[in-house]
Amino acid sequence: MNAEPSGSVANGGTPVTEFDALRRLLVGPEQHRIEELSEELQSREITSEQLAEKLPEAIALRGRRDDHLGRALGPTIETALRESIRRDPEEVATAIFPVLGPAIRKAIAETMAGLVRSINTAVEQSLSLNGLKWRVESWRTGVPYPEIVIKHALVYRVEEVFFVHAETGLLLEHVSAPGLKVPDADLISSMMSAIRDFVHDSFRPAEGATLRTFSVGDHTIQVEAGPRALLAVVIRGQAPDAVLRRQQDTLEVLHLQFAGQLADFSGDAAPFEPSRPLLEDCLETVLSTDTAVAKRRFAWLKWALPLLLIVAAIAAFWVRSSMRWNRGLASLRAEPGIVVVDASRGWRNWAISGLRDPVARDPSAVLASAGLLPSRLSGHWEQYLSLDPVIVATRAQHSLDSLGGIVETRRILFDAGSAELNPLAIATLAGIATLVQELDRAGAAAGRSVRLELTGRTDPTGLDETNTALAQRRIEPVAEGLESVGIPSSRIIRNAVASDNPLPAADPSERARINRSVSFKARVSAAPSTPREP
Amino acid sequence: MIQKKICMVGVYGTGKTCLVQQFVQSIFSVKYLSTVGVKIDRKEVKIGNLDVTLMLWDLEGRDGTHDVNASYVRGAHGVIYVADGTRPDTAQQLIEIRELVEKSVGRIPSVVALNKIDLTEEWKLAAADEAGAGGSDLHRLRTSAKSGEGVEETFEWVARAAVASSGGDQ
Repeated sequence: MNAEPSGSVANGGTPVTEFDALRRLLVGPEQHRIEELSEELQSREITSEQLAEKLPEAIALRGRRDDHLGRALGPTIETALRESIRRDPEEVATAIFPVLGPAIRKAIAETMAGLVRSINTAVEQSLSLNGLKWRVESWRTGVPYPEIVIKHALVYRVEEVFFVHAETGLLLEHVSAPGLKVPDADLISSMMSAIRDFVHDSFRPAEGATLRTFSVGDHTIQVEAGPRALLAVVIRGQAPDAVLRRQQDTLEVLHLQFAGQLADFSGDAAPFEPSRPLLEDCLETVLSTDTAVAKRRFAWLKWALPLLLIVAAIAAFWVRSSMRWNRGLASLRAEPGIVVVDASRGWRNWAISGLRDPVARDPSAVLASAGLLPSRLSGHWEQYLSLDPVIVATRAQHSLDSLGGIVETRRILFDAGSAELNPLAIATLAGIATLVQELDRAGAAAGRSVRLELTGRTDPTGLDETNTALAQRRIEPVAEGLESVGIPSSRIIRNAVASDNPLPAADPSERARINRSVSFKARVSAAPSTPREP
Repeated sequence: MIQKKICMVGVYGTGKTCLVQQFVQSIFSVKYLSTVGVKIDRKEVKIGNLDVTLMLWDLEGRDGTHDVNASYVRGAHGVIYVADGTRPDTAQQLIEIRELVEKSVGRIPSVVALNKIDLTEEWKLAAADEAGAGGSDLHRLRTSAKSGEGVEETFEWVARAAVASSGGDQ
């Protein structure tokens, strides 16, 4: 168009050559440019060069607006990829290797997460009251447990998806929820189309309006119609709008991906098999246990309270038990003659081991007085000698008591009417002297003063005065014998009882024999004994 | 597997429903015919080594008040016109019915089933009427729902014709 004026001028009366030469001189470069532009405008076809210029921008622009470009390119890219893999699989494998590893890891992680979620759900359900109730119902009715859960906890479930050719009502593809048997999907598909026609013809709605939703029992059938195909979903329960939106999106994608196949459809459904994954994406099951997050926020209270009580009871028990244990252990440690080396406390049994002086108190008795049951205690004690003053004193007291007891069983016998020590009496006295020395030492160790009472006796025959004198005389050699081995006379008490208070014996002659004697009694008193004299 | 939508049309009482009942798989009751006006059955046919599933749209018969519903015919791959050999008017009406059908779907593979051939005594169709039923250009077969005569052949014929007309598949 812009080139025309130059043409018309050229055809005018002015001589062409001169004018042209002038014009070329004046506007040569501009004219050239004008011609180029004119050519560009006239050839509306976009050159490859221009396309190359604009393509990236155009793609970016369209990509921002919607995802139609991606959908349209999808099949081409798939074909190209397939072709590329067919030619050289290794090339592609190498290229995608860096993505493959993370993808596999992610898939495994997601599967594991799903598993954990489903275990959680299962645990939650089997622990909850409802879970138990449903298990009983399942067992009673013979209906599988998952079915019972779906019956009670189902929010909604997209059970079937029909991809139907709009004009003929023939089924192109059909998917259903796992475990659901739909043998006559093709008949249902056709009949559904017929019913849509029937409703449309019967009620003659406004232009373009069709039967979109119908319900029967707890099933809702949602039909979305496109120019060439219908997508019908069968929903059990109450579906949110999201299901409808996904259905519409899927139908759009189906129209885009199968545009050619839908237009050429003459009864062969095989080309529509690749639509299965898209349709399967529409299938879903939503249970109330999946969505009841808000409800669950307070549901934990139901469990937390008894749990808290149990924990508190256990803690209280533990604290009380710990306190008793510590008290018991403390009293054991404070006990003279007991050294606790190791102590361990289990849930039921306590074990204590250590050292114990033979004269120390029984550890069980110590613990019992601290309120611990001895039956739950296993003790292992090694013997040792304690230098604890209390134990030393106790030990001395013990030996004092035993020595005293021994001494008291001895007596020195005399012949009738005699106060002389016969050879047997001398030997007996020597033994007794040794005992008394030991007794004296033990008394010193125990911080006690020990005095020895010598009781002189006679048999009942004879006058009392004579007997008393004899008894006194009998004491003397014994006292002298003891003094000779270092027992101070101050610690010897002389007690001549003669025939009073005789030693008992059944036989009179034996009674007479044992009473012609001097016997001993250790008298221990708290006052410290005077320093021993050599 | 190939599916074809086949419509069965005809005047009321020509035995369309009986014709298919014993030979097809069906999950819908006959009641549908008088309520929705159509009942859909499935018939599997083998053409050579090709499995063809006919979705048979059994349309409510035409009578004084109802005409053939054009909506149901939409997209059909084939038509079976059914007439009653004992009632010549049912054959004559096929011309009108065919016009209605073809107005909706155009020319598609069609066959005429002249039914109730078992009632030989009552057969009232003159040779000329028989030849012209639904138009002289149509293929026609004598059928009997009672004996089964011609029934399978009718389905096979329409299936073959529908597959052939779609081209490419064979």
